[in-house]
Amino acid sequence: MTDLMIFAIFFALLALMNFYRFIKGPTAADRMVAGDSMDIMISMAMVMFSLYTGRGIYLDIAIITAMLGIINTMLVGRYLDKGRWLYHAESDY
Amino acid sequence: MLRVIIDILIGIGAVFALAGTIGVIKMPDVFSRMQASTCITTLGVLGVCLGALLYAIFVMQHPSTAVKIVVIAALVLTTNPVGAHAIAKGAYQAGIRPEKKMETDDYRRDFDE
Amino acid sequence: MQKTRFPAVVTTFIVSYAFWILLTWSFSAQELAAGAVVSLVVALFSARFFIHERAFWLFSPLKFAYAVIFWLGVFMVELVKANVDMAKRCFTGCKNINPGIVKIPVDIKSDYGQAALANAITLTPGTITMEITEEAGQTYYYVHWIDVAKPSGKEAGDAIKGTLEKWLRRVWE
Repeated sequence: MTDLMIFAIFFALLALMNFYRFIKGPTAADRMVAGDSMDIMISMAMVMFSLYTGRGIYLDIAIITAMLGIINTMLVGRYLDKGRWLYHAESDY
Repeated sequence: MLRVIIDILIGIGAVFALAGTIGVIKMPDVFSRMQASTCITTLGVLGVCLGALLYAIFVMQHPSTAVKIVVIAALVLTTNPVGAHAIAKGAYQAGIRPEKKMETDDYRRDFDE
Repeated sequence: MQKTRFPAVVTTFIVSYAFWILLTWSFSAQELAAGAVVSLVVALFSARFFIHERAFWLFSPLKFAYAVIFWLGVFMVELVKANVDMAKRCFTGCKNINPGIVKIPVDIKSDYGQAALANAITLTPGTITMEITEEAGQTYYYVHWIDVAKPSGKEAGDAIKGTLEKWLRRVWE
């Protein structure tokens, strides 16, 4: 049983290591890459913790974390791309 | 026996996640860091989710937990490359270049000058 | 703006209803009815973004079998190989890298096929698709490659996406 908790703590530590790059990163893209891997780490830690405690509610938190993380990444990526949402202006939608 | 297999699978995921984290911290420029962080999102997530799936099916015997774990893995694996495209293209268009000049750079040749 | 077509609505409805059942995982009549209504509304609004071409490709058994073999077999082997390579580079100090952006030609016509190939390339560590362009009827990808072994063109394309493209053309031919 405790091995799952050890893995959960390990993933949380990895998320902290990514946080170093999040603070230090010279450009916005660096920060966003670190933030993206950070929230995947956090959702993995949530999965492990949910199996450890045996309660399903932490899995919902993991799903929502992964979803919001990808929306964040897309948003910042498109913002850096000068807000151009379409590749071809003559496309039909 | 089953617990050993589960531990090995999660351990593989943890090792690849550690490799990706080291890459994110130590790689020299944005694009290489992005390559390293792909390591986390593929085999790291797959290893952890496979182990967790086996645990949920055979130890906990709880179908909704297993289904949610499958949903997490599928969600991360399908949506993450889209974010990677967005960040890579956005970083390049915003003028972020690696310090050491890249030897082959067709993108700059075709679009920049 | 593309028109909403009936087969597209059916496919979107089936996919979103299956997702609803996966998420709720209760089979009482109330939940199933509520799920059907919500899925129908979602399908009516979003079918035109979800389905562009042939709507029922997923329900043809041969294509589905090819897709399953690709994503669970061939692609996994490539993924593990590339991951081990990338992990070696990371653990040995991140020094032996030679990044660059190459331009490779792609022979897949269908929209889904191109999107799936771009995602597959991005998911293997070591390569990230940056942009898709089309010049004179030929589609090109710009790919950032961590260890440029060959200059641009067909050889680089074979090294990056040889087997992936072969299998994806079987799925979306």
